[in-house]
Amino acid sequence: MKKITRQSFSNRIVHGVTAFSIFTLFFTGFGQMPVYKRYMLNEVPGFAWSADYGVTLWWHYFFGVILIGVGVYHVAYHFFRKEFDALPKRGDLKDSWILIKAMLTGKEEPPSEKYLPEQRLGYAFIAFWIGVMIITGIIKSIKNVEGIELNNSLVFWTAHIHNLGFFMLIIGVVGHLGAFIFKANRQLLPGMFSGKVNACYIKNRHCYWEEGVKEAKKAIKKSGKDPEKECEDFKH
Amino acid sequence: MIDKSRRRFFKHAGLASTALLLTPKGAKAAQDPNARIGSFIDLTKCDGCKDREIPACVKACKDKNHTKYPEPKLPLKPYWPRKEYEDWSNERDRIDRLTPYNWTFVEKVTVDGEDIFIPRRCMHCDNPSCLNLCPFGTIGKSETGAVYIDPDFCMGGAKCREVCPWNIPQRQAGTGIYLKLTPKLAGGGVMYKCDGCADLQAIGEKPACQSACPKDAIVFGSFEEIKKIAKAKAKEVGGYLYGLDEGGGTGTVYLSKVPFEKINSAILKDKKDKGDKRPGRPHMSPDTPDNMEDATNWMMASLIAPVAGVAAAALSVYKSTKGDKNEKDN
Repeated sequence: MKKITRQSFSNRIVHGVTAFSIFTLFFTGFGQMPVYKRYMLNEVPGFAWSADYGVTLWWHYFFGVILIGVGVYHVAYHFFRKEFDALPKRGDLKDSWILIKAMLTGKEEPPSEKYLPEQRLGYAFIAFWIGVMIITGIIKSIKNVEGIELNNSLVFWTAHIHNLGFFMLIIGVVGHLGAFIFKANRQLLPGMFSGKVNACYIKNRHCYWEEGVKEAKKAIKKSGKDPEKECEDFKH
Repeated sequence: MIDKSRRRFFKHAGLASTALLLTPKGAKAAQDPNARIGSFIDLTKCDGCKDREIPACVKACKDKNHTKYPEPKLPLKPYWPRKEYEDWSNERDRIDRLTPYNWTFVEKVTVDGEDIFIPRRCMHCDNPSCLNLCPFGTIGKSETGAVYIDPDFCMGGAKCREVCPWNIPQRQAGTGIYLKLTPKLAGGGVMYKCDGCADLQAIGEKPACQSACPKDAIVFGSFEEIKKIAKAKAKEVGGYLYGLDEGGGTGTVYLSKVPFEKINSAILKDKKDKGDKRPGRPHMSPDTPDNMEDATNWMMASLIAPVAGVAAAALSVYKSTKGDKNEKDN
């Protein structure tokens, strides 16, 4: 089975660090609500620290700073390289519906570019709310400093938008992971770990991704096989 | 350990750097120091109104604020899955501690055979951890520096009490917005505490406790003036001050002829002797930390992180482009 690189080392690191930071931020942020003491999580062996605001807040800030750095790196990196494949395109909503319907009914899917239309929409949704969390988080950290007195309404709305963002991001992450309920999408999973995905998968499902298809054909040819014949029976 | 003055220097150095990076539009860059009102509580004058049934400051506070006291919806329900809830509604006349129905009280202790009376209430911190860490942004600060809780949006999670260096705010169950939003799962009432009579301060009047004090033991005024008065008086009587640096600095300065270590020990001993574990009787430890002392570092880190992100991306793209070019050349 021939494989090609779909995600660069940089993308995989960004994805991994972002995911880990977000899960840690979910946990430590939820601890600020405050609920862990009420729900006795602190009484579970090894979790006594969860009800200590000093501890959870420290880690919340720590991973917040990491997320800000990685998030900005990601945006700047792709901006500098002029890579905008993951951004939504006109018609993505309709195309997502067609694609999901095809996956549910087992009918033939419309061909895709490097990213599926619903992937682009999901990316935009999660990226938007991460951006909201970063901006409101920075405002909150500025507000904490002695001598900086922010307007009371700004403090109030920043807190509420940050809390709303928390729930929206949970929806985003659940949707993101939920995509793998569809067997067809599972071929994409190794892309975020090893960076490589099946060459025939790319050739068949992402045939509008020119560079990917070219790489896929090259890889198959290199093994002495005919790309067309090799991928004829491939089912994702 | 870094001493307090150095810590403050670093904080302000951080602030100055931030001012260069930010031009806040929706924000007041800093509170006008001339508008800040502070208070001086002279324990050498306070006699706890021994001849009265209820100390004048406590009564004045109750008279002024009784309309703001909670009327809980009965029956009160426990904070599920726990079996308890906080209820002071049957103890509205209690004046021996801070409760949702009593925002100031006079602590009496005996130190070296002498009775000392200490009016206690919110210290109105310079950088209040309750305000900064409330997850719902429902604690505000007035133009004069009075810290207040908005009862309409407080969820009563009591985090403010836990992060307050003196555990001042007190909770009443069965009231507030949590009853409409999450009556069973989250929230627990509304938190109450002294609001510094912010409404009176706003119109240039003195807070109720000062107006009622027959001994002039409580004085509100320009904070800069208050600090000068307190320091001068402390020098004059060879006394001790409390509140200027404790908890990171507050808007309330106490003067006592005896060290506050002794007063604090007496409070703790009294509580221990009486088996008093209920909230509302704050300590007076001179070693009260500033819960917000790391705030400047975190703010700086969160402002530097985006710059570092862009720099790392530029470097990474430069290196990969150079690599691609070398590959082509070869």
